Amino acid sequence: MSKIVRSLCVAVLLAFAAASPLEAAVVVSSKLSSESAMLGQMIRLLLRAQGIPVVDRTRIGATPVVRQALLAGEIDLYVEYTGNAGLFFNDAADPAWKDLERGYELGARLDYAANRIVWLTPASASNAWALAVRSDVAQAYQLRTMSDFGRWVAGGGHVMLICSAEFANAGTLRSLERTYGFTLRSSQLIVLAGGETAATIGAAAAGTNGANTAMVYGTDGGIAAAHLQILEDDRHDQPVYAPVPVIRESVLRQYPQIAAIVKPLMESFDREGLQRLNARVQIDGESDEAVAVEYLRTKGWLK
Amino acid sequence: MELRLAIALSPHERIDRLGLLLSAAGLAALVWLPFVVFKSNRIMPGEPRELQQVLPAWGALGLQTVLLLTAVVALFITDARRRLSAALAGVIVLALALAAAANALTPAGDKVVRVAPGAAFWVLLIALGLLATDAITRMRPGPVVRVLLLATCIGIAWAALAAGMFDHLSVMREYAVNSGRFPLELWRHVWLAGGSLLAAVVLGLPLGILCHRVPRLRPPVLGTLNLIQTIPAIALFGILMAPLGALAARVPAASALGIRGIGAAPAVVALFLYSLLPIVANTVVGLRRVSQAAVDAAMGMGMTPRQVLSRVELPLALPVILTGIRVVLVQNIGMVTIAALIGGGGLGTFVFQGIGQTAIDLVLLGAVPIVVLAFSAAVLLDALIEVLDRTPSVAPQLDP
Repeated sequence: MSKIVRSLCVAVLLAFAAASPLEAAVVVSSKLSSESAMLGQMIRLLLRAQGIPVVDRTRIGATPVVRQALLAGEIDLYVEYTGNAGLFFNDAADPAWKDLERGYELGARLDYAANRIVWLTPASASNAWALAVRSDVAQAYQLRTMSDFGRWVAGGGHVMLICSAEFANAGTLRSLERTYGFTLRSSQLIVLAGGETAATIGAAAAGTNGANTAMVYGTDGGIAAAHLQILEDDRHDQPVYAPVPVIRESVLRQYPQIAAIVKPLMESFDREGLQRLNARVQIDGESDEAVAVEYLRTKGWLK
Repeated sequence: MELRLAIALSPHERIDRLGLLLSAAGLAALVWLPFVVFKSNRIMPGEPRELQQVLPAWGALGLQTVLLLTAVVALFITDARRRLSAALAGVIVLALALAAAANALTPAGDKVVRVAPGAAFWVLLIALGLLATDAITRMRPGPVVRVLLLATCIGIAWAALAAGMFDHLSVMREYAVNSGRFPLELWRHVWLAGGSLLAAVVLGLPLGILCHRVPRLRPPVLGTLNLIQTIPAIALFGILMAPLGALAARVPAASALGIRGIGAAPAVVALFLYSLLPIVANTVVGLRRVSQAAVDAAMGMGMTPRQVLSRVELPLALPVILTGIRVVLVQNIGMVTIAALIGGGGLGTFVFQGIGQTAIDLVLLGAVPIVVLAFSAAVLLDALIEVLDRTPSVAPQLDP
């Protein structure tokens, strides 16, 4: 009896082992958000085109889930954001995060020392929280930067900001107010409990409750389509969240060419470029994979 | 006494109360609520569109006439078959009107604008659905007829979707983009819900029998399972990620079996744990329901305890056990949705991606099939339970 059970167990084990890919394929992953998934798809397609075996495990969860999976070795590569390392290493106050170069270097150093995780080339775009105003308002009052905005609001500008509770209460807004010398009264704020940027963008575009300024992410796809204009964080108040592919060292050692394959891709992005790509997923509803394939083809990296 | 007399003499006596409620709701929706919502792109807030704005005059009039006739039937006709026919006619005309509205509002070749059902459509659909459900209940159909009815409805809906009738509707636009992934996620969803159920039956049934045989075990076992049931699903998924991840890292065999901290494993384990309570508890209750006389008679016939269990107790307890399984299956189909947050996949992937992009249409692409799955599972298992409950259990026979 127990012999039968044992041989059955062995058979099942063998069957599973045979079914799971034994060759060391690179497990490419991503967060759930559309930008992460799209970048993940691009990297997966590029690696595959270069003859590296890949497994698609994109869109597996929010930041903590993906991060934990990487540390546990269940995934090998995904796109993180530079500023998030401040949270991972409990060091969000370091001013280095507010600069792309320094934040990248600090994050890469900490992550390699602690976890043997290598940061590849970052994109030169930040997905940080920012404010965007309606284009008509921006034109009428010559608003290009946050400094312009601060002067305008402090001088009695008629502003109505729509943002999430997290943005209003967790210190982000307070920090912007301090840096740019303005204060918003509660009557100038519309706070959404679970506010996503798509909701704030939509409301500002439609002028709901008089909203003319919206909380956005720097690379949001909806900004241009909604006729909003993003305000430059000219005094670097906010941490920079530049997309950066991160990979486990052991995998990179096995396929050292990955660093060179990913580099031109990441260098090809800027804020407007990412916004346009995100818009195709977020606004037009194309699939992240389709957008990824087409982008790589136009760049000539994929046949 | 006086009150009863007053009711009996009231002129409203012949008006069907449910019909009155549903007709009033439907009428209010038609008059005050938008029939469809038009969005200039996927995430913009929708602009309401009235029936008259989106359909040609004869179309709007035709829909209103059919709905009015349905309301008349709902108010004054008591025959359940006619009520059902009227409700179904209403649903069909409503669906045709929606498809026509979506086609009319979408410029040719456009891929950006979205047309979604408006509040009036949903209210009317719910009212007609309730009317149909009420009629079916009054007809008291047998289990086989109920399953056939369900299959017919799903078949017609599927045929209409496959024929491209609703291709201009926002949900189907999302489907078109995700058509490659949809069958995979659907299958994964069913597999996660069914697999965890199967594991729970394999372990829960013996555990229930053991609890029945050894009453001392009941309080600790059921207490523990009750405790597990109170942990919020998302927390349990989170709790399981760490130990399963550690297991996968230390034991290569576990990893080869697909046991990992993210993905299907924590989802299946969590659902399995949730599934245990209804199955164990119902097995205990079902076995206790078996009359002592039947057990005594079987033993008097010279059956061994094992024979008593397999030939008398379990068959008699089966309907109650199946009720537990029904609870678990419906519960699992809903709960698997959260598996998408830990890489487990399933239809929840669409739901959470849609929430992230504030694309309600994408949320619906995940949510509507989940509702249909859960509803179908409930109807199927209810029918099965009824069939088993009606058939007299097989008379115990001695071994040849």
